[in-house]
Amino acid sequence: MVSGMSTPEMTAGLHLIGEQATRAAAKAKVQAAKSISIEDVSVSYALERSARRCVLENISLEIEEGEFVVLLGETGCGKSTLLRMLLGQERPTAGQISVAGSRVERVDARSGYVPQRYSLFPDRSVLDNLMMGPLTSKFHILGRLRPSYWEARRAVKAEAFRQITHMGLQASDAGKYPYQLSGGMQQRVAIAQALMMKNRVLLMDEAFSALDPSTRSSLQRLLRSVWSETRPTVVFVTHNTAEALFLGTRLIVLARESKDDACGSRVTLDMKLAEGGMTLRTHGQEFLDLVEHVEAVSCGQRLTAPGERRTASDAWGEELGRVEPVRVSPEDGVRQ
Amino acid sequence: MTNLSPFDIQARPNRLLAQALSCVLFVVCIGLYMHTSVERHKENAEDRVVPSGHQLVAGIRSAVLEPAEEDDYIPAESASTWERLRHSMIWKDTASSGGRFFISLALLIPFVVLAVHIGLFPWFGAGFLRFFLFFDKIVALSLLPILFIAFGIDQWSKIALIVIGVAPTMILDVTQMVKAVPQEQIVKAFTLDANNFDVAYRVVFRQVLPQVINSLRLNLKPMMLFLFAGEMIAASDGLAYRIAIMRRHMGMDVILPYVLWVALLLFLIDFSLRVINRRLHPWFQA
Ligand SMILES: Nc1ncnc2c1ncn2[C@@H]1O[C@H](COP(=O)(O)OP(=O)(O)OP(=O)(O)O)[C@@H](O)[C@H]1O
Ligand SMILES: [Mg+2]
Repeated sequence: MVSGMSTPEMTAGLHLIGEQATRAAAKAKVQAAKSISIEDVSVSYALERSARRCVLENISLEIEEGEFVVLLGETGCGKSTLLRMLLGQERPTAGQISVAGSRVERVDARSGYVPQRYSLFPDRSVLDNLMMGPLTSKFHILGRLRPSYWEARRAVKAEAFRQITHMGLQASDAGKYPYQLSGGMQQRVAIAQALMMKNRVLLMDEAFSALDPSTRSSLQRLLRSVWSETRPTVVFVTHNTAEALFLGTRLIVLARESKDDACGSRVTLDMKLAEGGMTLRTHGQEFLDLVEHVEAVSCGQRLTAPGERRTASDAWGEELGRVEPVRVSPEDGVRQ
Repeated sequence: MTNLSPFDIQARPNRLLAQALSCVLFVVCIGLYMHTSVERHKENAEDRVVPSGHQLVAGIRSAVLEPAEEDDYIPAESASTWERLRHSMIWKDTASSGGRFFISLALLIPFVVLAVHIGLFPWFGAGFLRFFLFFDKIVALSLLPILFIAFGIDQWSKIALIVIGVAPTMILDVTQMVKAVPQEQIVKAFTLDANNFDVAYRVVFRQVLPQVINSLRLNLKPMMLFLFAGEMIAASDGLAYRIAIMRRHMGMDVILPYVLWVALLLFLIDFSLRVINRRLHPWFQA
């Protein structure tokens, strides 16, 4: 959407997106290399006495190959729910989701997954955790009786050791069980485990939320460098705006208009971010303003009248200087 | 100064003292027994209800070194201790009860596997869970007459009783464990290209196995209970059969060693399962 995205100068486009416009945008961009496409997805759960709780409402998103999408929103706004749909763990009540070119029907190996907790298999050592993916994909349960298993295992083992050092772990950690690792090390291994599959899509649900600030920031740096090497498509769910601004190339905020059960979350902010990763240190006031804005949007204080919305984003864009606001309204669709 | 108040949750008992305390009840039991025995023997030197140490030793000797009454094998005077041991009453009873016990244990394995499927595969859950929830409420002993008719009065009726008695509980227990495996793990396994059986056996089963073994340890006693019930009602050998026979002529000198022997056997099976569990699953801390 924002063509200046790849220029070294930081360019960020802000789109405040209305629901119909998103749908129009979805149609307009069919030709782009899409990695994930979410078409008009709504999710609601049955409550007792035939009432329903709507969690997500008419979400449409197109995520391109190689984008690093951070998904922000208040607790309970349905970030994990959306991720479950992307994984294929649940089906949306309405709408369609496709990942890597085909519809998501069930959980399969087309996307890697790093959850917040239980991210490793507790009964396997680090090495076995890493080798599990490539080995199971070649040899299912009885396949390991085949003689070629051992040869493949040797190759996978070498690759696993490479990943271990790449992730900043010691080779001596390979034999340890997850309970012998700190939380940060566990998440490193979990990321490595997903990377072993060489997936083009990586889904992470608050993967760093349980870590202390310094471990967290070193993992953030690690994730960014890993991402920039092979550029998989990442969808990263977080609560932390600073983390989002540092990691992502695109920021999506989900929020609901009211606390009413009938009203689900929508995409209330969808913007491209600077490639280099924004931090307070490198971007100063600009960063603080953006945090403030994103937080206002995610807690539902967004401005609803189109006029107001425009003024707010314009004012903010001027202040930042480099932000290019993209105004989207139902009448004129997407304007670049 | 060690806090000696028994009602202090935060007390830190001294190790030695704590260990001594843990022996006290055993000592008290033995003391009470000996006291009662001595008292009763004062009144009647031939008392058989609370046998004296002397009588107990004689009872144990006869159980360990002499064949059962109904046996037609009588070892020669010159037979070695080992020869006598092999044809002794306690050996014969232990072997036949043990055989029944371990065959039932082996027969429980397919039910554990079934339970993994019930907990994991929705269609298995739909098909079996309600049935076992109901079946679990049937008092297994009340089926005994039917089992005697169906399986005859030897071996297999007792084995069937144990399996019918313990399997439903085991199944429900293991199903719960399987359901408690975090969804993240299952989803993760699928994203690593595992197929359904990989997930069932190489992810979920491996993870619940230590808990399954612990559940088995808790079920050892119910298993023994069902075995004893079966043997006491109809059998021609076995540990419980012997206890039932001895009761008829007040053979407390044999019954008491048998009771302790059974307890010891159960304790040893439990202990070895615990050790195996710890060795095999170092990652499982509980
Ligand atoms: N199976 C379900 N049945 C009913 N309601 C559900 C179900 N799953 C999720 N919800 C509801 O959906 C809403 C969104 O949940 P979700 O876990 O996606 O939120 P989240 O944005 O990930 O929150 P958090 O940041 O706290 O993780 C919650 O309000 C929750 O109550
Ligand atoms: Mg969540």
